[in-house]
Amino acid sequence: MELQILWAALIMYVLAGSLSIISFVMQRKPERTILAFLVLGVVLHTTAIALRWERMGHGPYITMFEALSSGIWNLLLVYTLVYWRIPAIRATAAIVTPILFLMMGWMMLFPPSEVGHKPVVYHTIWLYIHIGFAKAFISTVFIAVGISGIILSRRTEYGEIRFAHLPNDSRLDDLSFRFMAVAMIFQTLMLITGAIWAQDAWGRYWDWDPLETWAFITWLLVIFSLHLRHTYKTAPRTGALLVISVFIMAFVVFFGVPFVSTDFHQGVGRS
Amino acid sequence: MPDIPPPGIPSPGIPPPGFPSPDISKPNTVVRVLRLLASLKLTLVLIIMLLIGILIIYYTRTRFVWALAIPFIGFAINLTATVLTNPVFRRQMALLVFHLALISIALLIAIDWLTYLKGQIELVEGETFSGQTLSEESGPLHRRKLNNLQLTNESFTINYIIADGQLRRADTSNQVEWVAPDGRSGRSIIGNQEPLLLGGYRFYTTNNKGFAPIFRWRLNGADTDKIGAVHLPSFPIQLLQQKNEWTPPGSTMPVWILLQIEEEIFFPDKPSNLRVPDKHTVVVRLNAPQGDNDQRWELKPGDSVRLPDGVLTYQELRKWMGYEVSYNFTLPWLLTASVLAVLSMGWHFWRKFAARPWNPNSGESKLGES
Repeated sequence: MELQILWAALIMYVLAGSLSIISFVMQRKPERTILAFLVLGVVLHTTAIALRWERMGHGPYITMFEALSSGIWNLLLVYTLVYWRIPAIRATAAIVTPILFLMMGWMMLFPPSEVGHKPVVYHTIWLYIHIGFAKAFISTVFIAVGISGIILSRRTEYGEIRFAHLPNDSRLDDLSFRFMAVAMIFQTLMLITGAIWAQDAWGRYWDWDPLETWAFITWLLVIFSLHLRHTYKTAPRTGALLVISVFIMAFVVFFGVPFVSTDFHQGVGRS
Repeated sequence: MPDIPPPGIPSPGIPPPGFPSPDISKPNTVVRVLRLLASLKLTLVLIIMLLIGILIIYYTRTRFVWALAIPFIGFAINLTATVLTNPVFRRQMALLVFHLALISIALLIAIDWLTYLKGQIELVEGETFSGQTLSEESGPLHRRKLNNLQLTNESFTINYIIADGQLRRADTSNQVEWVAPDGRSGRSIIGNQEPLLLGGYRFYTTNNKGFAPIFRWRLNGADTDKIGAVHLPSFPIQLLQQKNEWTPPGSTMPVWILLQIEEEIFFPDKPSNLRVPDKHTVVVRLNAPQGDNDQRWELKPGDSVRLPDGVLTYQELRKWMGYEVSYNFTLPWLLTASVLAVLSMGWHFWRKFAARPWNPNSGESKLGES
């Protein structure tokens, strides 16, 4: 049952994404319809995740299928909220939804039937707080990526015409800086809560395991990009490239680690 | 329009006639140096240096302290100089608190490096720890107090389940008896995410645990026996490697100890726990000099064997637990400073962003449909 609801949610997302791409090409603004599809998709997806959580007895963070499903969910939850509240970012739907399509396709490569195992060290409230901040971080960067996509596509004549109705690059750059600043706060909280969890779980708050190290490097990259933009008053295009590089780094760290380690943190599943 | 002061009242910053004018255009050397050290560009350089330091530590797998210490010292200087020279901190409390918290973090990390201790110990059930670690590293200013406390591993249980077709470790429960440096004593249950806090040290159970045959050894000519435990490799991860070399006290000839388990410890279809097998044999092998055959004995509890240097008696099989002991007294302060830094940073951004609307086109908040 939960799987059918999940597929229905994905169909809603695909409809929202396709409509946003078509409207970008046709220069239409079916924003209300897109928002309706997004909200419906998020509601269905939330239901599917809740049902699976109830059935499996653990949250959506054990198997790769679950990690990707909850990753798509949190990106779209935050994106839908911002889409509703900040009109300037609505045009970004045509830019960010292809990223989500790729994630959906990737998720389908993993068997949803895989059970997974919840290690003892996951039995702590700090895990949920840590993961919550991580998801809030990447979702916020995701919105900045959409804004950066507009700034960069305006370098082309086609993009300039299509996005002519939006605020100027400087204003969009300021908006993306704000989202990155908020993302940095979430990411800092993610590192602090992760250290608290690690101290409880393994007796050390920091041990330079692959995920810790690369998450910290990503944090440094975020700090570096914000500082660079503030110090040198960089051009919107430079700021946009920095945002995209942070997102690529964060995405590889968050979703790439399972390819090099069977557990999200080194040593989690040792017997 | 600028405010013009009434006649007779000098403008702020302009000395009245007859007073020498301070040369505010040329700051003194100290201020110039401080301004150089407070440079935002220097901050960027330090971030890159920290990035390189992390990569060095990560890829060389060494505790190359200076790779991190140099950028952290640099940050402390850079931040302090910024706080001292930048007038914005006198107007923006949030920014000041943020920078002071960052300075505190850099100092606390430095103190932690100087005073930390990290060590490993292994204790057989019934054995008492009184200061001797298997391995240990500590900062140069650490005042070792491990000898002033006692920790006895009374017993432990570890549950196992089958998940995804594999044997997986579940809960660990370890009963320990302790005596603190101030003479207090008591019993605690530790394991999973519960450490024992004793005299500022934290003792954690680890994934490392296994079996240990207990031997009684009487050296030729000695009046008394000695009791010893041979810790076999971690179980069940090294299920097929349950052997170890051991030299009895006073002997010159090492022996090989091998544990043969003759029953199932873990069941493939139901939850199990780590327990000492009732059916088992301990094999003792003595490496013979070149040309001769090795000698080999199979022992059950209570069996003895005469070795060239004495008599070895196998008494019983017990379990041992590996512990990690650590000392980081800066931890609560580090957490406080980190939380303060992130809260003040959030406060600063909140005030900064609230001054201008998030929505660049405030007139277009309605959803368009065309």
